[in-house]
Amino acid sequence: MTTMSTTTPATTPAAPAPAPSATGRARRGLPPGLWQAAGPAAVFVVLFAVTAALQPAILSGVGPINLTTQATAVLLVALGQAAVLHVGSIDLSNAAAAVLGAMVLALALGPLAAAAPLVTLLVMALVGAVNGLLVAFTQVPSFALTLGTLGVLQAASLVVSDNTTVYASANGEVVSWLFIQAFAGLPVAFWFAVVVAVLFWLVLRRTSLGQALTAVGLNETAAVFSGLRTRWLKVAAFSFSGVMAGAAGICIISQAGAASSFGLGSDLLLPGIAAALIGGTAITGGRTNPVGVVFGALTVALIPITATALGVTPQARSLVYGVVVIAAVALTASRARGAVVK
Amino acid sequence: MTGLTTVTDVLTPAPPTTGARRVRRGHGRLRSSGEVIALLVLLLVFTLLNPGTFATLTNARTVLDQAALPLVVGVGATLVILMGSIDLSVEGVMGAAGMTFVLLSANSRGGESHGALALVAALAVGLLIGLLTALIHTRLRVPTFIASLGVWYIGLGVATLLYGTEGIPNFSDPATANWASRLLLGLPHSFWLAAAVVVLGLLVGRYTRLGRSAYALGADERIARDNGVRAARTKVLVFVVAGGCSALAGVLASLQLGAGSVTLGAGTLFLTIAAVVIGGTSLGGGRGGVARTALGVLLLTVLNNGLILSGVSPNIQSAVSGAVLIGAIVAAAWPHRSRLRVVK
Repeated sequence: MTTMSTTTPATTPAAPAPAPSATGRARRGLPPGLWQAAGPAAVFVVLFAVTAALQPAILSGVGPINLTTQATAVLLVALGQAAVLHVGSIDLSNAAAAVLGAMVLALALGPLAAAAPLVTLLVMALVGAVNGLLVAFTQVPSFALTLGTLGVLQAASLVVSDNTTVYASANGEVVSWLFIQAFAGLPVAFWFAVVVAVLFWLVLRRTSLGQALTAVGLNETAAVFSGLRTRWLKVAAFSFSGVMAGAAGICIISQAGAASSFGLGSDLLLPGIAAALIGGTAITGGRTNPVGVVFGALTVALIPITATALGVTPQARSLVYGVVVIAAVALTASRARGAVVK
Repeated sequence: MTGLTTVTDVLTPAPPTTGARRVRRGHGRLRSSGEVIALLVLLLVFTLLNPGTFATLTNARTVLDQAALPLVVGVGATLVILMGSIDLSVEGVMGAAGMTFVLLSANSRGGESHGALALVAALAVGLLIGLLTALIHTRLRVPTFIASLGVWYIGLGVATLLYGTEGIPNFSDPATANWASRLLLGLPHSFWLAAAVVVLGLLVGRYTRLGRSAYALGADERIARDNGVRAARTKVLVFVVAGGCSALAGVLASLQLGAGSVTLGAGTLFLTIAAVVIGGTSLGGGRGGVARTALGVLLLTVLNNGLILSGVSPNIQSAVSGAVLIGAIVAAAWPHRSRLRVVK
């Protein structure tokens, strides 16, 4: 019995979430600073080099266009997820929200024309805000709550679409230009997403709002004692996730012109989380580099291409994503002795 | 052995204040009877709304057949949640195990039948995937919701690979294809299977060291470890048991479907978690039990069945489970709200 009690240091805080500063001495994973600064870009460059060596076709012609087109929706969802992870929560409903957003847009394009995308973003911001309000004010675990909203949103898109495919029959030109090639031959929508990532980076690093969000993620109790409106900051993070899911929905309509409950976008959940985590976002909160998430999303889009080049069947894609998510968290996880991880 | 006695010492004698204990116990009894009353009210309302279709033996069989799947999964999920952990890998494990079972049984793709070996192999797949989740969690210190989220997709990937590119594998032996809905003593086989699993789960939760340790870890992992509970071993065993339950559910789902499908578990996850939570098991761990989950499953199944009989579109089924899940966790967390409480 005595050996058991001595292995647990008496100095570790009693709260389940260990303070990051206390873990530096005993950690074994990669230092988060190093990973955050260079890791995501390095992983992408190495993976891209390997793929290019095996399959030179990816360098020329439609290769880069396909890659960035695939990465756009993942990047948008991942940026929203990164914001939620940044305040220490998780949003499991964002892929379902993206599909619902695509349906809302498809239905709104006819009557509202150019205003439809804006309406879509507003509706999805409201969906995200409801998630945030419930998490912040009723103090329930975000994974359980967003699992519930995932069910509600899935049912909503089944009802909206009447269990079939919804086509954007009129005014398709309002969004169809998003995947026209622009700067450097890459689609407009991808550059939009990159601009959003850079703006998000500026907000996090240069504004008091960003600092406050970081404070909530690093130590929520301390943030409350500092007089921050922690609950509204969480609502803001979840609303941003909703807006980004809506933007991903706009991309779905722009690419496919239609949306269905089990079609394009319904499998964005894990790729989105993977992109955020590979991009250097810590699941414990407070550590996010939106520019890293851009490389995370590119890596996620590249993984199936690399896997095919290596001779792995594309059917193993979800298996690879699963392994990548676990590996990304395991590599950066804190391993303080005696800390309780649920 | 001293470990066990100290654990029970921690669990059984009075917690700090007897007043608090009395409040908690009274609260628990109230909530539990609340669910029984809710179930009775639902049964009454749907009987009045659907005279001649709801309160019939055929419909009772349908409800029990539908409840079987979440009951089997729910036993494993309850043990995991009692530890304060979560297992999101259910649907992936169901896909992989169900596919293993179909492909090793006599099916429309040809190939020989391996009889009972198919069941053993399917269960082994589930146990192994559960072991994988547990080792990722205990060795790599990855939180269970991320570990099991990753494993969910690993399971789906395994199922997709097993499925390959050929046509849908249907059971070619009719005795296998209708096993789940055949009756024994007037009730479907699927229900008897689920009932057996629930009884086993009850015994494990109440009378074994594993069950006791799970409660202790959920109540306070630090204190439990200091009192000799083997945290890592308990977590590994509980996740392996949960993997086995999900695998059995995958086999049952493929029998109910009569064919193999990668996504045959779709929707089971939040139905089960909703059932566990409305049953009254705390997501924080340490409080609740398998019997409560069984009640929660019946409540949700009757609700879904009654709504569909009343003419509500089956499309909203996942919204019902989702909304009930949200309502249940909000109601459970409401009394504990505090400005300084940190919930991730």
